[in-house]
Amino acid sequence: MNIAVCVKRIPKTAEADIFIEKDGKDIKKDNLVFALNDWDGYAVREAVLLKEKYEGEVIVLTIGPEESKEVLTRCLAMGADRAVRIEAPSSSDGHLIAKILAQATKGQSFDLILTGVQAEDDGWGQVGVALAQLLGLPHASIVTHIEVENGKAKVRRELEGGIEELLEVKLPAVLTIQTGINEPKYVSLSAILDAEDKETKEVGLEEIGFTSKAPLDATIDQVSFPPTGKMAEILKGTPEEVVGQLTEIIKKKKG
Amino acid sequence: MLEIFVLVEHRQGQIRDLTYEMLGLGEKLANQQGTSFAAILLGHDVKSFAEDLATRAPKVLVVEDENLKNFNSILYQQTLSSLISKYQPCLLLMGHSALGMDLAPSLSVEMEFPLATDCIGLSFEGARLKATRSIYGGKVNASVSLRESKGYIATIRPGVFSPKMVGEKKGGIVMESSPLQGMVDVKKFIEYIEAPITGEDITQAEILISVGQGIGGPEHIPLFEELAKNLGGTISCSRPVVDRNWLPKERQVGISGKTVKPKVYLAIGISGAFQHVTAMQGSDTIIAINKDPRAPIFGVAHYGIVDDFQNVIPVLKEKTKSWK
Amino acid sequence: MKIDPKTFIHDYQLNICIQCGTCTGGCPVKFRSPLNMRRLVRETHLTDNFSSISKRAELWACTTCSTCSLRCPSGVKNVELIMGIRNFLANKGEVPSTIRDALENTLLQGNPWGRFRDRRADWAQDLGVKIFGEETSETLFYVGCAPSYDPRVQSVSTSLVRIFQKAGVDFAILGKKESCCGNEIRRMGEQALFKKLAKDNTALFKKLGVKRIITISPHCYNAFKNEYPDLNIPVQHYTQVLVDLIEAGKLHLSKELGISVTYHDPCFLGKQNKVFDEPRKILNSIPGCDFIEMERSRERSLCCEGGGGRMWAEGGTEGKRNGEIRIREAVALAAKTLATACPFCLLTFEDSVKTSGLAEQIVVKDIAELVMEALEVQ
Repeated sequence: MNIAVCVKRIPKTAEADIFIEKDGKDIKKDNLVFALNDWDGYAVREAVLLKEKYEGEVIVLTIGPEESKEVLTRCLAMGADRAVRIEAPSSSDGHLIAKILAQATKGQSFDLILTGVQAEDDGWGQVGVALAQLLGLPHASIVTHIEVENGKAKVRRELEGGIEELLEVKLPAVLTIQTGINEPKYVSLSAILDAEDKETKEVGLEEIGFTSKAPLDATIDQVSFPPTGKMAEILKGTPEEVVGQLTEIIKKKKG
Repeated sequence: MLEIFVLVEHRQGQIRDLTYEMLGLGEKLANQQGTSFAAILLGHDVKSFAEDLATRAPKVLVVEDENLKNFNSILYQQTLSSLISKYQPCLLLMGHSALGMDLAPSLSVEMEFPLATDCIGLSFEGARLKATRSIYGGKVNASVSLRESKGYIATIRPGVFSPKMVGEKKGGIVMESSPLQGMVDVKKFIEYIEAPITGEDITQAEILISVGQGIGGPEHIPLFEELAKNLGGTISCSRPVVDRNWLPKERQVGISGKTVKPKVYLAIGISGAFQHVTAMQGSDTIIAINKDPRAPIFGVAHYGIVDDFQNVIPVLKEKTKSWK
Repeated sequence: MKIDPKTFIHDYQLNICIQCGTCTGGCPVKFRSPLNMRRLVRETHLTDNFSSISKRAELWACTTCSTCSLRCPSGVKNVELIMGIRNFLANKGEVPSTIRDALENTLLQGNPWGRFRDRRADWAQDLGVKIFGEETSETLFYVGCAPSYDPRVQSVSTSLVRIFQKAGVDFAILGKKESCCGNEIRRMGEQALFKKLAKDNTALFKKLGVKRIITISPHCYNAFKNEYPDLNIPVQHYTQVLVDLIEAGKLHLSKELGISVTYHDPCFLGKQNKVFDEPRKILNSIPGCDFIEMERSRERSLCCEGGGGRMWAEGGTEGKRNGEIRIREAVALAAKTLATACPFCLLTFEDSVKTSGLAEQIVVKDIAELVMEALEVQ
């Protein structure tokens, strides 16, 4: 079973102070730390688990500048066998990303191509399913469980309201992986240092035969801070005083 | 005149609320563009749905086919691409949902329609679609321009737009013939899986003690269980807690979990991602405890405490001991 | 880096163990977990199936307080064994999820809580503290992770800054450039990450021309003093600095506090690094501070369970926490204040005061906070 996993390096913004770039088109990133997109981490782990079960090879791909290599190294440390970095500026145009990935993966004998459901940063949630269409492969998105048998994958998709659906998808297929599908392993620094010795193939867009100059589907005009709505009434004081107010509120409201 | 299409979402015999929100948005955009909007209903035995939708949309296009009984992206895509070719709508709205996320990107590639996903705002500038999206975990909004095109697809964030109410005039129901020629074997729906509720049902609770990743680890769960016991409430949680196996899936509040409306919702160590907030903002009273004063949860809570839960919860637990 | 458990016998001197049980006898978590150090040493020595031993949850119960190793009559390196097993597990990726988060956070944000790196010096914003890079000094005041981010411990950091300023100590902090010292990281089994932190921190300190380091946490003190291979810069725990300042007459502790105080010796300050007298000297210099010694003091101090990665470990223990036992011991002495000199002790005791319901009877203070109070002009 040969599996390709498409991954992305993203800035961590959860706790960060956010500033907007002068041109107003993105946030400032020089004060942020970068990591492997959370969803992609689950996808790589799932690919490695499938490989352990069914044998084969796991190849990770990313599109991005030199710095993106660090997430590939992490994927190799997680158990991926090979890594490919496609040199290109980062883009938030999901269709373009899908087209590049399609060019890079087509004609290769992958049984499965995995992506994360979406990226933590711009969250388009588009690349995996668009890639499937470009490659003419079936897909399933938001996958929470995979079992492979007789050239088919039985997958569970997460729906709303705590419900899942069970599907059968013929391989090869593209699956977009949801968080929680597996238990992530700790990736030790020594595993990462070892992985730095493994080879990461670096290719340019021309090398993979990507020549499209089609206009982007989507461009960001500007980013802005969301309007702040009504804020909660903050209870103040020592913990005892705060709890005093809190119990009064709960008593009153619980009826 | 180029119409705006709204793809109706339904599952297990029910139209999903998001459909009405999309119809509301569809109408607004149609008015802005001086055009009309239509609900697109694909399914099997969906006559009653069509009747309902006709009270909220000037036109309902229905494709009846037993193969459309349950959602299958390939069959939906075949049906929609044939409808789009016939009617040439300027915009197709879908939910940013398990359905829309499985369908919109592939349909967009096939039709060569630019796609904007997870939109919290949409408008036309001339014939060009502009979208507002919430990015970087809700820290900023991005205004996105889509390239010029004869048609667009957009997926809509649930819970953002006001739903279209029942109107006075009833719209027409147009039955379209199905373009499908049977099932496909590359992607087959098998069944729905609903985890049985083994503990308390969080949707029935009047008081929810809801915990997030901010509680640090599962060793604190017993503390919250005790508090819940004192208050006569139930423990629920946010997604990261389930992903980490600190609590079972049936306890999850969120779009992919349960939607809850208790009298009191006590959110502890929950940052307040929209997927969570959408599913609990209908609670009567929301109280948030979080260390980070900038956590988005304080934007939806009625009362907030900016502190480590370890400073507050043990005291609250002691103080409510006698309530049992 | 592959770890071969067979080398544990030699590395940790398991073969000289006489199975006397002194280690288990002194273990602070022996009543709280199935961890039995004597048996663990024996089993690791003789086993053919190391991986079954390594799967035991109680391996994460050890607080690395080192009572066992310090008391061992033969010189078995018990705590190093625990860290060796944890290192084996970390390299296989098999650590509890909360430990995983702590380790990943440290690599990414330079602190185990995953708090934003850029906010590390927010606590110092209005204190007029020199920051390396903007200004310079020969003395590095190394703050540490908990004192930088935890609101409770920030009060210790703030107190020390004010005390040093009052005593005319020239010092600077690293600000956003400060990273975790790695002491707990090594104890959670991530030896490689510890080495990286040690290397990076050492290089940074040298580049900045640091001639002396003062730490708040005994854990950082321990790492710098005993475990950084190439540091060669004198390190002091702040209690040592304060004693010098008091004895040199640079700090005038004038305000009568009128309290009865007992003192808990932090493991990494006391039994592991033999800093016993300085904290006591400081408490005895504070006017109106009635110092009562605990029964279990100095080498016999009962570990609070905050060390060895226990701040991030889940479960593995049951029953009453040592912190709570300690609070009750202090209350039984009729002490109104339990003083300590370690951020982890401070945090675990603060929790225990609340869980034991004794908040009316005792408060927990860091020695630095008491000194600050005694400095304040009425």
